[in-house]
Amino acid sequence: MKLVRWTIIVGYFFLAVLPLVWLVLTSLKSEQDAIATTMKIFPGDSEPGDKSMVFRPTVKDSYAKLAEPLPGDQEPFYFFLWNSTIIGLFSTLAAVLLGTFCAYGFSRFRIAGAQDWLFFILSTRFLPPLAIVLPVLRMYQQFELQDTHLGLILLYTVFNLSLAVWLMKGFIDEIPRAYEEAALVDGYSRWRAFWKIIVPQAATGMAVTAVFCLIAAWNEYGFAVTLTTETAKTVPVYFAGLQGRPTGLPWPRVAAGALLFVVPIIVFTILVRKHLLRGITFGTVKQ
Amino acid sequence: MTERYAPTRVPRIKPPAQLTKYGFIAPAILLLIAFNVFPLFYTLVISFTDMKSFTKWEKVNWVRGENYGETFENPDYAQSIRTTALFVFAAVSIELILGFALALALREPFRGRGVVMTILMIPMMLSQAVMGIYWYVILNGNYGVLNQVLGISGPDGPKWLIDSDLKLISILMIDVWMWTPFMMLISLAALNSIPRHIYEAAEIDRASRWTVFRRITLPMCAPLLFLAVLLRTTDALKQFDLVMALMGPDDPATQTLSVKIFQVAMRGWNIGQGGAFAFVILIAVIAMATIFTRYIGYIQARQGRAAA
Repeated sequence: MKLVRWTIIVGYFFLAVLPLVWLVLTSLKSEQDAIATTMKIFPGDSEPGDKSMVFRPTVKDSYAKLAEPLPGDQEPFYFFLWNSTIIGLFSTLAAVLLGTFCAYGFSRFRIAGAQDWLFFILSTRFLPPLAIVLPVLRMYQQFELQDTHLGLILLYTVFNLSLAVWLMKGFIDEIPRAYEEAALVDGYSRWRAFWKIIVPQAATGMAVTAVFCLIAAWNEYGFAVTLTTETAKTVPVYFAGLQGRPTGLPWPRVAAGALLFVVPIIVFTILVRKHLLRGITFGTVKQ
Repeated sequence: MTERYAPTRVPRIKPPAQLTKYGFIAPAILLLIAFNVFPLFYTLVISFTDMKSFTKWEKVNWVRGENYGETFENPDYAQSIRTTALFVFAAVSIELILGFALALALREPFRGRGVVMTILMIPMMLSQAVMGIYWYVILNGNYGVLNQVLGISGPDGPKWLIDSDLKLISILMIDVWMWTPFMMLISLAALNSIPRHIYEAAEIDRASRWTVFRRITLPMCAPLLFLAVLLRTTDALKQFDLVMALMGPDDPATQTLSVKIFQVAMRGWNIGQGGAFAFVILIAVIAMATIFTRYIGYIQARQGRAAA
């Protein structure tokens, strides 16, 4: 039994990790090594046909070239990375703030039809983006928000609101009411009590929610691909658009870009590992 | 000298004014309504027209149920529904079984378990679009890693991305790679929620391992597992990013619902038709969301009772 157990663990671990490891290795290879038909595990700046397994990483074809646009493009990778960063950060800030307000309201006040409102909020996250993106596209064309940073920031804020509300409600529910009630008795207004009492206590919760919202906005593709063309294009749209190019892709550069994009997510995942279960189940199941 | 002891009045907390209550929740709710409800109505309205993405309102014609008729009759749409259904069923089943098996294996603590689990969680959090283009390297028939690892590269290896039978399997593989950790995490939570004493009681009664598994472990995990399946199914129905990144929007072998809508509306410029198709899917998704929330209420009530 133990053998079976360990086979499963080790086997799956390798399967899960291998693509990522390959990603790292590819980003360190020269272009010909990356697409060598005889697999070269370790990067080595060598002649074709050289089967030596010497580890000689090179960044000349990958990271060093990230600042150049791909042949046929106008912008280098960093341009898209910048877009993703700006859009991600601002939309996360707005989503967490508004979501916390809303969650506080649902957590502490008796609101008519609260269950239904919360259901409505949740259902917005279940909608396939393609189903609502067509009208949003027309609306954006009308207001000249199409392909702007503001347009995507607005949309991502709304998109993440449901996650933010549900997660923060879970966190705020865990804060004992006694603290604000003491403040209220002392004459604080609700507003002041919210900022002085709840927010400091919910700070960890807000950070965790912010991470999940950031990851969602960072990775988002459905809205971005329909609503951006050049100026506000984010990294996922850029990468997915690389598919189907007639000339081959410079894989080390692609891998390097993908790695740079993915590293912040990995870091954040490690930071919120204790809350992962809560994050993926919308706050309904706690670890 | 006895003084009159007047009890101090405990100051009452005023109940919040309507303005305060709604002031807190209004901004979020208004935004959600503006960006979700209005577009839904708009989609509904244009699904009855023949609007193309460049037509002005004046030139739009009312075609009533034509788009919906087209949705149900056109074999391409039926194909995409079939593709999506197949994909969702296969993906969720495999992820459930694999994830649960993994959770069973990882149940007992061991040194480094935390690290292993965190690393296993990573694929779940990555961008599907970005990973999609990257898996192209691995799955390419000529120089892909997968074929080389399997020992069969060059012109004889299975062409994961070109062979029409294998295309959906490739998408399936990547999806399983990404989302098995999701099932594993929830399965672990489910397994950990079973109280120890039940197992001890079973041991005293000398139940076999299989009986224990079948009669205790599985039934007690069922509620949370069902939740996981619900969540994963609703997400899988939306499958879009991966297919777009790996296959593009025009490949009938892998066109899931969302991809088909994209092709019809953004490449074919036919927003009216796309809207009709989207609305049909919407009904299905809303049904799932309803089941989900009712189910959450049920689970939380159970948890409340169990804790009491």
